[in-house]
Amino acid sequence: MPERRLLFEHIDVPGIEGIDVYEREGGYRSLRKAVKEMSPDDVVKEVMTSNLRGRGGAGFPTGRKWSFLPKDGRTRYLVCNGDESEPGTCKDQEIIYRIPHLLLEGVLTSAYAIEAEHAFIYLRGEFKGGYLRLGRAIAEARAKGYLGDNVLGTGRRLEVTLYLGAGAYICGEETALLESLEGRRGMPRLKPPFPATSGLYDLPTVVNNVETLAAVVPIVAMGGAEYAKLGTKESAGTKLFSVSGNVRRPGNYEVELGKVTLGELLNDLAGGPPAGHTFKAAIPGGSSVPFLPPDKFDTPLDYESMRQAGTMLGSGGVIVLDDRASIVDTSLRLMEFYRHESCGKCTPCREGTMWLEQALRRMVTGDGRHGDLKTLEGLMAHIDGQTFCPLGDAAIAALGSALRLFRGEFVSCIAAQDHPLEEVAQ
Amino acid sequence: MNAEHLEEAKRLLTAFPGKSSALIPILHLVEDEFGYIPEQEVEVVADLMGVTTAYVEAVLSFYSLFHRQPTGKYLIQVCRGLSCHLCGADDLARFLHEELGVERGGTSDDGLFTVEEVECLALCKDAPVVQVNLEYRPRVSKDDLQRLIAECRQGVAQHA
Ligand SMILES: Cc1cc2nc3c(=O)[nH]c(=O)nc-3n(C[C@H](O)[C@H](O)[C@H](O)COP(=O)(O)O)c2cc1C
Ligand code: SF4
Ligand code: FES
Repeated sequence: MPERRLLFEHIDVPGIEGIDVYEREGGYRSLRKAVKEMSPDDVVKEVMTSNLRGRGGAGFPTGRKWSFLPKDGRTRYLVCNGDESEPGTCKDQEIIYRIPHLLLEGVLTSAYAIEAEHAFIYLRGEFKGGYLRLGRAIAEARAKGYLGDNVLGTGRRLEVTLYLGAGAYICGEETALLESLEGRRGMPRLKPPFPATSGLYDLPTVVNNVETLAAVVPIVAMGGAEYAKLGTKESAGTKLFSVSGNVRRPGNYEVELGKVTLGELLNDLAGGPPAGHTFKAAIPGGSSVPFLPPDKFDTPLDYESMRQAGTMLGSGGVIVLDDRASIVDTSLRLMEFYRHESCGKCTPCREGTMWLEQALRRMVTGDGRHGDLKTLEGLMAHIDGQTFCPLGDAAIAALGSALRLFRGEFVSCIAAQDHPLEEVAQ
Repeated sequence: MNAEHLEEAKRLLTAFPGKSSALIPILHLVEDEFGYIPEQEVEVVADLMGVTTAYVEAVLSFYSLFHRQPTGKYLIQVCRGLSCHLCGADDLARFLHEELGVERGGTSDDGLFTVEEVECLALCKDAPVVQVNLEYRPRVSKDDLQRLIAECRQGVAQHA
């Protein structure tokens, strides 16, 4: 199964991070076309027609999100979510570090479309190198008139401000991101109101993922209808998948949605499991989604098929485990992450992730107690659907599926401590 | 803050549509200069921002890249995210701790190195990953780390 490169079409061209090479490869034609030949509404219509869905994890239709902005004359903002902290996900990183102008062009074109004069790119604090690269890209683009007070002589104003976070996974959640961008602790806001009506500085705001905004460039170039022909009806276009873990050729692979199965991605593109090993399971959408066992690897990579298979496409971060990996140890590692990243605002997530971590650590260190499986399930029930933001559910998605798919491993962790096996398994 | 940073901090106060947004960028300036956020600088920042020191503390304590204790000249952050964990990150961290004689999160006696284990650094395809002063080192081995330590020590020696 071949890759289908739209976003990554020119990524291997030497010097593509600079504006001259980027332009030579056709860069900034979409922005030029948008501001010179199209009205903002025309651009929104193309994005609607393209069926593009948000690439940050939730898969919400981008054109529809843009259409929620109230037409009341208030200042609007575009915020690009470059927080990328979902374990297993490293696609935005590659866009930011290797093709910064593609992101910048996507941001400028989208800002024009939603009639925002000011866009922000929020980067996680660890993307300091990306911050510097994007800073250079902005300076180069400004010198060529792609942003500033008079974009390409049209009299339009487009400004882009970079903002560097300071280390906190929850700041990827859009309202927590806005809090952080306003200089506060990154704790999620109550929704509604949604950012579209009350976002950055309480003004109408669109928050989109890096890959989403980058995809606007090929959409404007080829037209929404052409883009919609790629992928499936419900899941249009191409998507970047980050493959990592126990696999021979880890990397970011761009494929048409729904045209490639998880197994084809892992075996044909990513080279299969390391020599002498077999795949045990994969988490296909970043660490916040349920595991898939190898007998489901024939599932096509699109939003609907993944959901039917009992998991989610999420961010497209595929973490793969081979036969050497312990599911209990993996579950512990993930729970440590969510416990550490819980913002502490609501009790079920703050306390629940801590207790789950403690129970899992007992199992891994050989102190598993009789009844610990019930403890895990009880704690998960108190989190499931009970938390202020989706991080709580994210924390238990993989664990819940692990307990279903690999129950025996948890049981033997506890049974190793001389507890009667049949009691533990209850 | 040194004069240059103070100048930059004052510029940041009006660089965003809302003044409150300047706090995190200003804290980055402090962290860059001192390797942590010293007590007296919290007051400087609070004064600049027109907020209480408690407010500044509340914000900075939320973010893992702001330190309350001095850090070494080289901040080595070993990713322990799941992908790196599956690719031997624990061994790398253990190696650094032993080699430099530091505890988790600790700083070596010569003040050169701080070693932290951090969550996913968004370069999972190149696991295991380490950042040194926020610069990526992809697919690192113990040998790479050994070389890195030697280079850092040498670099410092040359400067002296
Ligand atoms: C805990 C949590 C973490 C998230 N992290 C990210 C992230 O790092 N990057 C991102 O684009 N979206 C992230 N999201 C999703 C955002 O809230 C939001 O849906 C997204 O940025 C919208 O952009 P899109 O429609 O283009 O996907 C996260 C959500 C949650 C609940
Ligand atoms: S679910 Fe967790 S991260 Fe979300 S608001 Fe509650 S404590 Fe914070
Ligand atoms: S898990 Fe180490 S970079 Fe993502």
